Amino acid sequence: MKTIPNTFVIVNSNKCIGCKACEVACFTVHNENNNVVATVGTVTTPIIPRLNVIKGENFVVPIQCRHCDDAPCANVCPVRAIKQENNTIVINEKDCIGCKTCLIACPIGAIDLLPQYDNGEQVIQLNLKQEGENGLEEKAKSIAYKCDLCKESGKPACVNACPQKALTLVNVSTEKKSRNKAAALSLLQTSKSYR
Amino acid sequence: MSINIINIDKELCTGCRRCTEVCPVNAIEGEEGKPQTINSDRCVICGQCVQICSVYASNFQDDITPIDVKKDERGMLESVKEPIFAAYNIGHTKLVKEALANPNLYKLVQCAPAVRVALAEEFGLPLGSLTPGKMAAALRCLKFDRVYDTNFAADLTIMEEGSELIKRVTEGGTLPMFTSCCPAWVKFAEQEYPELLNHLSSCKSPQQMGGAMIKTYGAKIDDIDPAKIFSVSIMPCTCKKFECDRPEMTDSGYKDVDVVLTTRELAQLIKGMGIDFKNLPDEKFDLALGNYTGAGTIFGVTGGVMEAALRTGYELITKEPIPNIDLEFIRGNEGVRTAVVKIGNLELKVAMVSGLKNVVPLLEDVKKGKCDFHFIEVMTCPEGCVSGGGQPKLLLEECRPIAYKARKAATYDHDSKLELRKSHENPDIIKLYDEFLGEPLGHQSHHLLHTKYVSRKK
Repeated sequence: MKTIPNTFVIVNSNKCIGCKACEVACFTVHNENNNVVATVGTVTTPIIPRLNVIKGENFVVPIQCRHCDDAPCANVCPVRAIKQENNTIVINEKDCIGCKTCLIACPIGAIDLLPQYDNGEQVIQLNLKQEGENGLEEKAKSIAYKCDLCKESGKPACVNACPQKALTLVNVSTEKKSRNKAAALSLLQTSKSYR
Repeated sequence: MSINIINIDKELCTGCRRCTEVCPVNAIEGEEGKPQTINSDRCVICGQCVQICSVYASNFQDDITPIDVKKDERGMLESVKEPIFAAYNIGHTKLVKEALANPNLYKLVQCAPAVRVALAEEFGLPLGSLTPGKMAAALRCLKFDRVYDTNFAADLTIMEEGSELIKRVTEGGTLPMFTSCCPAWVKFAEQEYPELLNHLSSCKSPQQMGGAMIKTYGAKIDDIDPAKIFSVSIMPCTCKKFECDRPEMTDSGYKDVDVVLTTRELAQLIKGMGIDFKNLPDEKFDLALGNYTGAGTIFGVTGGVMEAALRTGYELITKEPIPNIDLEFIRGNEGVRTAVVKIGNLELKVAMVSGLKNVVPLLEDVKKGKCDFHFIEVMTCPEGCVSGGGQPKLLLEECRPIAYKARKAATYDHDSKLELRKSHENPDIIKLYDEFLGEPLGHQSHHLLHTKYVSRKK
């Protein structure tokens, strides 16, 4: 029984300039249902990306889901909303109840809990309300967001959008094979000089 | 007092410096990874930085000034829902909204050629959708009293500039002559090459010619006190906001163009007033200052001003119509394109520059006396005004070439389908000269439609 490890997108930290084009692209391709087309003027909801550019004193990199093969998020979800589809770990947004267990389970913080939007508006909860300044007001449904490797199109938008080509989609077995080969060739060279 | 039109929000800027790659004048300063600043002495307000900046303000970040406060500081309407980015231009929608509600003002508007091939993008329609009819309808819904068109003023510019070029060529005037409709190019020339300002055409830009006409001729035909006219222009360009504020642009006796809104701002205003743009029926522009030819509409793309000028110039010189009206060899993309056009006995050497950086070698040649072109069109933005700093901002960089190509194609398509395609054949232009201006380069024209430039060299 052969298992292919899940693919994921990783950044080359030497190349990232912190421009957030990846975040904008991620949001754009995931929001057709919110009437987002080609221009900024068509956006009516907050930008919610599924990867986050983290900036510190001496570094800036985007952090996103690693599509762990033993995904802690999938293993702890009480309503089984997180599953493996093809080589991707995917959250079913309809089933998500916003319990935040996956959020705490993820060691790299790839999951965020934020309001759900449809057709340009917040999706409102049926009964649950919250206290506001003027009494009880509507509460938006919140869901867990994370990278889904752009499963709709199959081509990660962030990789395409990066002006520095800092992001790559990693195919683990191809990567391993090419490194093994490079190491073998290097060994061959070294062995030659020992004659 | 001057408020900078283009700014970088220090709270948002991550110092990625993508803006510096598109700035044609190296006006953006700062270390990598730290917030950048714009040197306003160098900045030509082209807005290319605004177009490329991808650092947005997140609604979920609580360590920065709240977004609605930022929107207010930037002059945006409260109703605007779109995200804001680090590099931005200040807005004037609130000013226009107030004016539209003021019954004591007579509100007139003119729209640039490049707006009608991009405005619809902000409402979800495909890139490069041609919607002049919906644009005119929307402006009427906004309660403008007259919906005029910069394309008409572009036809007017050709009459004046064509005549000026012929005069310089035949009477040994200063050559090469450069176009002067791009305000960022004009500012650049004033800053860096003031000694060559006499090469610029003395013609105002279509926006400013339109403004001067609106408050003189426009006031006359509607029997309105020009002091009550509020003249707005809708532009694909952020630098036009600078141009309308130039102190000398008051030849009508009043500020010729009161306020400039970008294409994006117009879309925001339309949405803010609850107008359903997508379902508006097509309407026409108001006559007198709203009827245009194809030559006027191609001003929005690189090579368009040149092609329009040649369509008229050819006939002015040879008294014969130009054999082929579509001058494909003039059209093209960013860079410097050159051509030799045979007009009767004259071999006119012309050049089209788009992308401001590309004009520098030509200017250096002019300084050395080595430039033998007669007429040079200069546009700061890469593909001309369709790629202007005030146009709808693209979310994905990969869409940029697609958008520019579509907007250009729509512009030439619009031109090809119009009945009249040469500026001098516009009956309202002929009428304007008959009734009001006299003749190109005449006394009235000189007073209202021509201007002087100022050295800004430090």
